[in-house]
Amino acid sequence: MKKEHPLFLCIKNSYLGQSWLVILLSIFFGFTLSGVQAFLQEKIDTNKSNQSMRIVPTLVPGAVTGKSVTVGDLTVYEALNQNNKRAGWVIPARGQGFADKIEILIGLTPDASSLSGLSVLNQKETPGLGSRITESSWLSQFIGKGTTDSLTPTKNPVPSKNEIRAITGATISSFSICQIVNENVKKFRAELRKQQADP
Amino acid sequence: MSKENPTALERFIWGIIPENPIFRQVLGTCPALAVSTDIKAALTMTCATAFVLICANTIISLIRHLLKPHLRIVVFVLTIASFVTIVDYLLAAFYYSMSLQLGPYVPLIIVNCIIICRCEVCASKQSVGVAISDAIGQSLGFGLALVSMASFREILGSGTWCGFRIMPDSWPNWVLMLLPPGAFFVFGFLIGAVNWFTSLKKNKSS
Amino acid sequence: MDLIGLFLLAFNATLINNYVLHYFVGICAYIGVSKRIEMAFGMGCAVTFVMGVAAMLSWSAIYFLLQPGAPLTSFIFKTIHPGSDSVVNLSVLNSIVSIFVIASSVQLVEMYIRKFFPALYKAFGVYLPLITTNCAILFACIEIMKHVGKNAVEPWGLDKALLLAISAGMGFTLAIVLMAGIREDLENADVPAPLQGPGITLITAGIFAMAFMGFTGIDRGLAVLFGR
Repeated sequence: MKKEHPLFLCIKNSYLGQSWLVILLSIFFGFTLSGVQAFLQEKIDTNKSNQSMRIVPTLVPGAVTGKSVTVGDLTVYEALNQNNKRAGWVIPARGQGFADKIEILIGLTPDASSLSGLSVLNQKETPGLGSRITESSWLSQFIGKGTTDSLTPTKNPVPSKNEIRAITGATISSFSICQIVNENVKKFRAELRKQQADP
Repeated sequence: MSKENPTALERFIWGIIPENPIFRQVLGTCPALAVSTDIKAALTMTCATAFVLICANTIISLIRHLLKPHLRIVVFVLTIASFVTIVDYLLAAFYYSMSLQLGPYVPLIIVNCIIICRCEVCASKQSVGVAISDAIGQSLGFGLALVSMASFREILGSGTWCGFRIMPDSWPNWVLMLLPPGAFFVFGFLIGAVNWFTSLKKNKSS
Repeated sequence: MDLIGLFLLAFNATLINNYVLHYFVGICAYIGVSKRIEMAFGMGCAVTFVMGVAAMLSWSAIYFLLQPGAPLTSFIFKTIHPGSDSVVNLSVLNSIVSIFVIASSVQLVEMYIRKFFPALYKAFGVYLPLITTNCAILFACIEIMKHVGKNAVEPWGLDKALLLAISAGMGFTLAIVLMAGIREDLENADVPAPLQGPGITLITAGIFAMAFMGFTGIDRGLAVLFGR
């Protein structure tokens, strides 16, 4: 057997000698990942904001673009019309639905006194029943509802002022949407009032 | 089927049916159940997994002589996790809607047992060519399993295949198939069917 | 303290969005280690324990090191590059750090239990190292990842992260122990040969998943009951 130099053995048995491959690979992958991030992060960020931005004009009448702003400690979108004036607000909101989290966008008038539109971004409700919350015919009944009183779902065929016709077989999904809208609009109105009182 | 050093072709063919990762080895079941609600999601998941599997197998096979036995798992996990992050970013950049639909199941490829198992069984022992053909074979097997499950679930659950309506309009969508229980049932019965076919073949040959 | 919110979070993770029966994570262990009730219970406890430790560690790692503008990395960056005002963002490393946090917390838990609870260590046996590749734990970490940081929709503190991990682990334990109970009796049943093993287990899991679907929507009722 060939006798190895003691210094060589010493290096071979040290931590570095054992793990040099791991360290080398980490450095290699570190550079690869930072390259990937440098190339793609911007595109991902635009994708992310586009997803909501594209919907903003459909939720607020007269709006052409949106811009992300912070009101208090909430991040919302301010919908802007052609003259770059405020046309309304769009609040991203999420909450527990029947099966999983539901993510929605709520459109509000400039003074946040009534709803101007509603759109479901993401839901995993029961297909065919709860998933009908994405239908525009159902969502359109939210338009014009006042925000001072909370909305409640009802089974009446003719809903009154602050009532929303619930979807048959999906009472809880309908209820969840109302709940998410109520909670988030209330929070947003409070923040807005605080900001206006103390600019 | 337990030869010491199978050739590239054998590895490739084994991956598809005889050693199908999902139906025969019952590995990587989590994506198979979770993303098989429609064909498009299943195909995207297969491509993502195949990319990671092929890259990881290649890298591991290239450095197989340098691996220390007690540190090999660390090297495997590091390689796999890096490629999964790359795939996650690629998907988010170029196919954002699908990246949202797949959600956490893309980063979960890291703990997909198929990949670490192939690194251990094949790539850390054999040459690059064999490792790549093994990876492609296993990916095809994985894709076959995912697409067959997704076909059943999409046709029965929403009456469509890859977005095209194929069931008659009077078909009442069997919603349960799209929900978690449907995934378990379809998977269970498909495993049963594959086992039944292989046992039939064995009986014939003996 | 928002006790009701915390309770609903735990209820959700345990029963409604059960990790095994709703998200399909941790199926490998679910099929592999559900033959005996004691084994299943041991596995469930080990997973819950590791999940808790890993959740705490990965929450801290993401909060202090990896999120955009994280305090520790920003401090280091500022000392090296004084005057630079770019935001440090290491979130590309999120999943890699999480998996290594899981692997090392499995090691940590293993060493700790071996030293202080030898009886428990014997009971867990080979399951401890196996937990590293259990998708359920990485899934919990990813779920927490979404809720850490200033840009998250609803930022969670360490308490919520820990609660989510523990209750998800309890949900896993419940599902796997129930399954083991059924499988012990299934041994006496005449299962068709091709379905034996994983096949029948998955079909049983399907029936469980159907039963657990009964929990969906209960949290809404509970929330109303508590006046939220």
